[in-house]
Amino acid sequence: MAQPARDNRMSRRSWLLAGLAIPLFRARGAQVLSVVYDGDNLHPLAPPTLHFLAGKPLDRLKNAATVVFASQLTIFGEDRTQVLKQATERMIVSYDIWEEKFSVKLSVAAMKTKQPLPSAAATEAWCLENLAISTLGLAPARPFYLRWDLRAVSPRNMAGNVVGDPGISLTGFMIELFSRRPAADEAHWQLESGRLRLQDLTRKPGRGRIG
Amino acid sequence: MARSMKLAGIGFLLLGGLLFGGTQDSEFNVNTRYTVETIKISGDGWTTDPVADRDGKISSGLRKEIAALIGNKLNPVALDDLAHRLRKEFHARTVEHHVLRGKSPEYVQVIFDVKLPPTKFDVSVPKFVYNSRQGWSGAVEGTISDKRNGLTFGLVSDGDDLVERYTGLVARYENTHLGTDRVRLRFQFESYHDQWNNSTLGLIPSATAAMFADTSGVYRTRQNFEPVATIVLAKPLTLSFGASFERFQEQFPAAHPEAANALITTLRYHRRLEGSENQQDVDAGYALRAATKTLGSDFVYGRHHFQVRYQLTHGKHTVVDDLTAGVISGQAPLFERYVLGNSSTLRGWNKYELDPLGGNRMVHNSVEYRYGVFQVFYDAGAIWDSGETTAVPRHSIGVGLRQGSFSLAMAFPVREGRVEPILMVGMNY
Repeated sequence: MAQPARDNRMSRRSWLLAGLAIPLFRARGAQVLSVVYDGDNLHPLAPPTLHFLAGKPLDRLKNAATVVFASQLTIFGEDRTQVLKQATERMIVSYDIWEEKFSVKLSVAAMKTKQPLPSAAATEAWCLENLAISTLGLAPARPFYLRWDLRAVSPRNMAGNVVGDPGISLTGFMIELFSRRPAADEAHWQLESGRLRLQDLTRKPGRGRIG
Repeated sequence: MARSMKLAGIGFLLLGGLLFGGTQDSEFNVNTRYTVETIKISGDGWTTDPVADRDGKISSGLRKEIAALIGNKLNPVALDDLAHRLRKEFHARTVEHHVLRGKSPEYVQVIFDVKLPPTKFDVSVPKFVYNSRQGWSGAVEGTISDKRNGLTFGLVSDGDDLVERYTGLVARYENTHLGTDRVRLRFQFESYHDQWNNSTLGLIPSATAAMFADTSGVYRTRQNFEPVATIVLAKPLTLSFGASFERFQEQFPAAHPEAANALITTLRYHRRLEGSENQQDVDAGYALRAATKTLGSDFVYGRHHFQVRYQLTHGKHTVVDDLTAGVISGQAPLFERYVLGNSSTLRGWNKYELDPLGGNRMVHNSVEYRYGVFQVFYDAGAIWDSGETTAVPRHSIGVGLRQGSFSLAMAFPVREGRVEPILMVGMNY
């Protein structure tokens, strides 16, 4: 006996769940991190939809304030829990309200300053280009995952804590910063790569070395 | 273990704070090379230039700090600090600052945006004083307010201001922005139960017809309804006008209600002059209450009150001179009559000793010198009734401590014979 046609159709509940899940999948899809390997370091390659110089951080910059971003790159083992390597960086971004140009200073791993940068997009690109994690000691055949955490540090946390001179304590403070949940007024992003092995990555020369 | 980890984490944070405390983002803020052109403060429907306008919206200390930033290089840390202080001063929900290009190249304008909470509740103590001869007097008020409207309820027991001790409640509605910031409206209702000193009551049975021609008898209760509008004529000058509908229950010769309904008007002038080292405040006011039969009043009188106050502040030194004078013409109830010898006039004297029924003529001057928290004062004044040939001038001196609104003073009446000092302690008196 033939089954009623309606048994082959999706129920209203299934449609509802599917509808609710679409944004989640889209969000999940946007979180995938690509990497660039220069032979020594891995650099995050954010999807084109990710803009950290937008919204409140950009508003603060255009009010002549500096915005501090804390970045953390972490290489996990295959089980996604064992931390193999970690690199933190601090990016201090400023916006010249007369010249309408950006400036960036990196001051934990890399000691670099770039100014002027003509746009928010160019500033983001320069930052990403200069964020890196060393692969020294990582076996070419060992599977790993790379996670990139980025946080716009709130002015409250920024005052007197993460903007000072670099040093061991600052690095420690930034690790501590990432160990707790972001504050309500802290914009934050977390992207994770798929399963990677160094031997599978194409070496792209020309990216900056860290340190 | 977990506890020790937690403590270590706190220690680590403190260490981080200590190591990097004081280093702020100015080191890499490219805008710190620009000069501050102006600083303005804006709220819901208003904007003020605190340096140029001097409209009293902010305290003089804060105004000086703002003025010090103008003409100097942009300092984001100082702006954050200022925003924090403005938030406290305005009791604001948030204060954000915006930095815009100035009118000239290399200059910037700073605008502080003050956002007040939609409604707030404040409890205040407009007066609280203990006088070793007259006992406690005090008032406490609770106010619910939104941006423009305020509703206040208060309790009062005051044996200091008037001949009577009045105890009861106050309810008040105020609108501080009636179409414009220059017009305010207030409705006040008061209901009091009255108590009298034996010195006053002792005079009533023997009161002459002439005395009752000047004032009323004592009363048990009184209620007042007072609608008043205030117009800011010019920034230092305000004019208030309205009416007072006062009913009271006289005790003698038999209980009966009476009314003292009056038109009221007050002209006030306030000016603050600030130099690099000195600050001068000048307050002057004239108030008239004119009771008339056309308002259904049982009493017909005119009460004129003049006050001029000058204050000079130079560092820790402050000199205050306060001159008041008053004249009542016609027959005014006891609550309208002037009193000297309380916690603010002829301090050290007993008001019932000077005039148990108050007077309808009064002049008083008080000179006060303060150095830091220490104060000395000299009061001189006279109170009398029309028709009296001579007014007896009286003097008093005192020393004390004053910190903000709190004050502690010992006052001595200057007279021959015994010295009976009066201790006064309290706030806002």
